[in-house]
Amino acid sequence: RCGWETAMGKKLIGCPVCIEHKKYSRNALLFNLGLVCDARTKTCALEPIVKKLSGYLTTLELESGFISNEESKQKLLPIMSTLLEELNATGACTLPIDESNTINLKLIEQRRDPLIVQEYDVPVFTQCKDHFIKSQWDLTTQQILAYIDGFRHIQKISAEADVELNLVRIAVQNLLYYGVVTLVSIFQYSNVYCTTPTVQSLIDDRSIQEECLNYVTKKGQKRACLRDVFQLYCGLTPGTTVRDLCSRYSQQLQRVDERRLIQYGLMKALIRRLQKYPVKVTRDERSRPPRLYTGCHSYDEICCKTGMSYKELDERLENDPNIIVCWK
Amino acid sequence: MYIHSSSFDLQGERKSMYKQSENSFFKCGEKTSPISVILVTSGSRGNKLLFRYPFQRVADCTSSLTTKQRSPYALNTTGDVLEDPDGDSREQTPLTDQQLVAGFSDIILATILATKSDMCGKKFELKIDNVRFVGHPTLLQHPHTIQVSKTDPSPKREMPTMILFSVVFALRANADPSVISCMHNLSRRIAIALQHEERRCQYLTREAKLMLAVQDEVTNMTETDGSPQSPFRQILPKCKLARDLKEAYDSLCTTGVVRLHINNWLEVSFCLPHKIHRVGGNHVPPEALERSLKAIRPYHALLLLDSEKALLAQLPLDCSPALVRLIKTCSAVKNLQQLAQDADLNLLQIFQIAAHLVYWGKAIIVYPLCENNVYMLSPHANISLYSPLAEAFGQQFPGHDLPSMLAKFSLPLSLSEFRNPLDASVQEAQLIQMVVWMLQRRLLIQLHTYVCLLVPPSEEEPGLLRDEELPLVARVGGRSLSTPSALSFGSPTSSDDMTLTSPSMENSSAELLPGGDSPLNRRMTETLLASLTEHERQVILNIPAAQSPEDLRMFARLLHYFRGHHHLEEIMYNENMRRSQLKTLFDKFRSVLVVTNHEDPVISLFQSPLE
Repeated sequence: RCGWETAMGKKLIGCPVCIEHKKYSRNALLFNLGLVCDARTKTCALEPIVKKLSGYLTTLELESGFISNEESKQKLLPIMSTLLEELNATGACTLPIDESNTINLKLIEQRRDPLIVQEYDVPVFTQCKDHFIKSQWDLTTQQILAYIDGFRHIQKISAEADVELNLVRIAVQNLLYYGVVTLVSIFQYSNVYCTTPTVQSLIDDRSIQEECLNYVTKKGQKRACLRDVFQLYCGLTPGTTVRDLCSRYSQQLQRVDERRLIQYGLMKALIRRLQKYPVKVTRDERSRPPRLYTGCHSYDEICCKTGMSYKELDERLENDPNIIVCWK
Repeated sequence: MYIHSSSFDLQGERKSMYKQSENSFFKCGEKTSPISVILVTSGSRGNKLLFRYPFQRVADCTSSLTTKQRSPYALNTTGDVLEDPDGDSREQTPLTDQQLVAGFSDIILATILATKSDMCGKKFELKIDNVRFVGHPTLLQHPHTIQVSKTDPSPKREMPTMILFSVVFALRANADPSVISCMHNLSRRIAIALQHEERRCQYLTREAKLMLAVQDEVTNMTETDGSPQSPFRQILPKCKLARDLKEAYDSLCTTGVVRLHINNWLEVSFCLPHKIHRVGGNHVPPEALERSLKAIRPYHALLLLDSEKALLAQLPLDCSPALVRLIKTCSAVKNLQQLAQDADLNLLQIFQIAAHLVYWGKAIIVYPLCENNVYMLSPHANISLYSPLAEAFGQQFPGHDLPSMLAKFSLPLSLSEFRNPLDASVQEAQLIQMVVWMLQRRLLIQLHTYVCLLVPPSEEEPGLLRDEELPLVARVGGRSLSTPSALSFGSPTSSDDMTLTSPSMENSSAELLPGGDSPLNRRMTETLLASLTEHERQVILNIPAAQSPEDLRMFARLLHYFRGHHHLEEIMYNENMRRSQLKTLFDKFRSVLVVTNHEDPVISLFQSPLE
């Protein structure tokens, strides 16, 4: 088993192996190839390497007595120094053992578990789509790639690409894990957004300014100015729909694509979406308890699940005196 | 062509979360809870595991017994592990937490966790596959004094055979480093208490004897009866220390607040901030918490999360009287500066005590309640019809339901609007209580107004982001009255610089100068505006309102606030101005200012909900 221990300011990672056999003096061979790091290093990426190495060495020993043989044991020294140098330099190394055996090792970055992807989430590429090398990815991902445009939600991608919903979810989750995409919400002109404290980063951070202005400017137009874009973001307030924004700030929107404005704002958390949650607060004894109108499901979710449009849902709920709506 | 198996793990983890195990209410995969607590010692009789909790069920015990017969060093692997020569696929059936540690027999744990004496007094950390052990091995007796007492013929107290001990917590391997560090801290605190009690009355030796006696008894019984039992179950009712360790474990897994009375004498208290402060399912890292606490301002207020009585009842007998005074005088409408005056404490003390209460999850920082405060529903608020909050609200305020109240805050609502006297059905006082109740449960966030100076770009080169368009922040240094920078946990500082009796006097003095348009005033205005570019200056001076020298002077004076980091109330406090004055100024200069409303990032950390 792989384990490590901290002592004297250093961390030791090792994977002890015990091979029992009569041919060994004491009937067993015990060995352990370990790595020594500074105690503060994050070493989770190194553990699989240590484990893999110990597995390889075990196999080598069982096949050809690599470690117990005094002569071949000498090869361990150059192997270990190559290992140290190359891992530190490039994070990968190739260790030729003999004519037929080579060990390849690579440090894999550990990432955090991604969020669960819902049917009403919209994946959007974090970098330019053209940089994406299709052939490196699995078939499902390749099939849905064309449909990821930052506006189609999972359910729509599944329908249009003709791929089963769950497969789309898993593929997008995979892309999310590698930071290739991020998730935003469905865009509609009736949506309501508001600013977050992060919106000030547009003022503070020159690189975000550049990136934002390049992203939101309408194609073929001169680059929009910071003041207009900032005013637009600040124009998003609770109670204001995107449609309202467009009519109030038509001058500022001359050079700005409002859909990309919203998209960028959500990706960088400059703004957040205010979702509607219906709650059935009063009901008579005889009717069934509410299943969807409990305050746990947003309009986005309900519309996705039931196939209703926003307008239909709105009309249905507005006429019901027992239902109140919360925005958050 | 490699689909990462993370998604499978997610499914697996979700399944194991609902798996019924002996301790089914402890969520598996919970990264901030310990998996197990283990007490080991090392002495003249070798290494021993005295106690562990949770202990294995009887069925699992049989497997560990058979292990004993093979070799004490052979590890018992539970769960399926596929043969994998490459070693790079994850286990297909994730083990539950209990299985992870259950795979280690008592003897193995005793061997690996009881260290040599030269590793005592330091943090001990060992990770094997998916389990991380952390502890603080503590020396009980200096090794050479044992030899001295051997040669000493005089009769004395029974010679202790224990050399060192360690309270070890087993965690999941992927626990956050700050969690590991907190667990180590707790291990150390318990160790200090045990060491003290051992020196005073051999408490640990006595408890250890009891535990070993029960273990021996159970082993004997097993050999004669043939029915395996867990000795630890028998130990619990007999040993106070075992019960204390169990309690520590249980508390860590649930509330995150641990209070033990070692030997019914020494109190050990500890809190795991990761359990107390959470944002939407993830814990708040202690560094973020500390940063926020350091940014508290004198105009903030402290809102207690429990009633005064309940909070006072939780304090130990020998707590500081300043703390008691503060709790008794604090109120949601009083800011910290007023609190300092009312409680007769200096501001630094108030800050430190407030930070302490917040760290322990007993209070939060808010802006003092007043008519003009604007509140909105928090994005993290639980608005479910069936939530425990809804039930509690219904009990506290009969006849009202929480979702309806929360719906009112869907759009930002000021306190005065909320208390609209037209709605006579509810009494005003009760409405305020409701708001306080909702704030305590982090259902509401407060919105503040922030202002930013952005001058329309010049006509000569439209569209290009030249230096003129670079906002003020790049050039203006911007001074801000900061909270006592000496506020770090546990370090005392002089109180000289801490008595902020009134906001800065230097600018207010400008008003006292004679004449509206004296040369001195004009020069001051010019100096303040000098930090702007020529283009910006021109645009500002061309605004009709700029023709009034007083208005221009006020604008120039407040220039450094206009970069979106200081909200209206802060400017009011620092500059001793009225809200109406500021609002009028913003209106007059609206062609160069952009205004937005959002929550205060400094205290928004405290407005996130508890799990």
